[in-house]
Amino acid sequence: MGLVKADGKPAATSKPSPRKYTRDLTGLLAELNDQQPKARRWAARDLVAYGEEAVGALCERLRTEPEPSVREALFDALLAIGGDAVVEGLIPLLRGEDAGLRNGAVEVLGQLPEAVGPRMEVLLADPNPDVRLFGLDILRDLPHPEAPRWLMGVLEQDPHVNVVTVALDRLAEVGTPEMTPAVRAVKDRFPDEPFVAFAVDTALDRILGGE
Amino acid sequence: MARAAATQPRCGELHITDAEFDRFRDFFYRKTGIRFEDSKRYFVDKRLIQRIEGTGHRGFRDYFAFMRFQASGEEFQELVNLMTVNETYFFREEYQLRCMVSDLLGEVLHYKRAGETVRIWSMPCSTGEEPYSIALYLLEYWDLIDRVDVEIVASDIDTRALERAKQGLFSKRSVSHLPRWILGKYFEPAPGGYHRLCDDLRASVNFRRINLCDLNETKGMRNFDLIFCRNLLIYFDEASQRLAVQTLYDALNPGGFVLLGHSESMSRITSVFKVRRFRDAVVYQRSA
Repeated sequence: MGLVKADGKPAATSKPSPRKYTRDLTGLLAELNDQQPKARRWAARDLVAYGEEAVGALCERLRTEPEPSVREALFDALLAIGGDAVVEGLIPLLRGEDAGLRNGAVEVLGQLPEAVGPRMEVLLADPNPDVRLFGLDILRDLPHPEAPRWLMGVLEQDPHVNVVTVALDRLAEVGTPEMTPAVRAVKDRFPDEPFVAFAVDTALDRILGGE
Repeated sequence: MARAAATQPRCGELHITDAEFDRFRDFFYRKTGIRFEDSKRYFVDKRLIQRIEGTGHRGFRDYFAFMRFQASGEEFQELVNLMTVNETYFFREEYQLRCMVSDLLGEVLHYKRAGETVRIWSMPCSTGEEPYSIALYLLEYWDLIDRVDVEIVASDIDTRALERAKQGLFSKRSVSHLPRWILGKYFEPAPGGYHRLCDDLRASVNFRRINLCDLNETKGMRNFDLIFCRNLLIYFDEASQRLAVQTLYDALNPGGFVLLGHSESMSRITSVFKVRRFRDAVVYQRSA
């Protein structure tokens, strides 16, 4: 007993188990619905190689997948594939009841700036304020140069106080002094909401700090 | 009130205001989990100014917007590299090695069958200090090493580093944290003030070149009980971090543990690992 000598041999790996499915698109799509979570995880990870062809099945599986570790593999596969099809497949999840799915979708969408960018204005104009809030959650990490302009639009036009205060919080990080008149104007839009005044002052402190 | 203004670096007209420092600090913390105390102000400002000048921006505001909204994230990664200076040496972050022998291996043995080998993966292993430290710690501080087989696999993407690791030749600085008696027991002096690790210990680590982000290269890496993955994820972008973490998860036996660097947190990347707080360290466990 003790430390096992390497002896120049490659490290021992797991014994290969016989495959139930072929390692092609058809086989992996079937494996994605296997009873074993481990098989579904591996199917999700392997399906990345098929790019857009696999997006529909990955998104579909997300809606019913109960196992957290498989869900993560599905989200990560979608992030690795990226592109318009992934964004189109994930945005509907923002309207769902499952918080885990919504959060997972927000995290992935926040890392796909090129594909999310053209859809952001629509998302921020959604009739459902919860969806607009999720849009702002996406903006929190989205590396997109239009982000400040989108936030300004929310500040100036959104009727919902919660949505506007979240936009103020985001602007505290990315705002510039030219935006301060619009930030100050938010107080006048919600004069009866003391928290708004606090949020405005906090954002202004951060934006104008050092001026 | 202005903080430590006299000590803030100024290069020409460039300087970082308190509010700018706070803005950067909050952003960096949110993205990496690394929080800079006020005492690090000089360190942070100096590097920020270096990048502002290096990228040809006029000041913090322009630079911050450029870095924050750059789709490729390259500049953010440059900053991460600058702000996280890493070096490798024997017994680095020793508290994790203590945790390994005092708590983790005991739990691992609970789920192993009698006679089954315990498997440890160290990566990125760089020039070998980490996997050899694991081997030394097991030999010297784990009572059960005479009754249990342990296999140590070490990997890195850098083949030159792997070659140096296999040679087992280490500088004085590299071994400076080792107790003198361990140095005397396992190393012999080599020309140029170097120390050569004994053959027996060098033979106990299996070195392999592996790219953690390549699914095909990592598929065979399974059935590990402990994975040391310290100070690597911090250098990956978010998508790569997530894929790497999936690989770690699949490489572990259920109940196995991952050890990350002191400034890293799995919780920012994934929720599939359970956070375990032991006396010496916080580690991440794959559910049984």
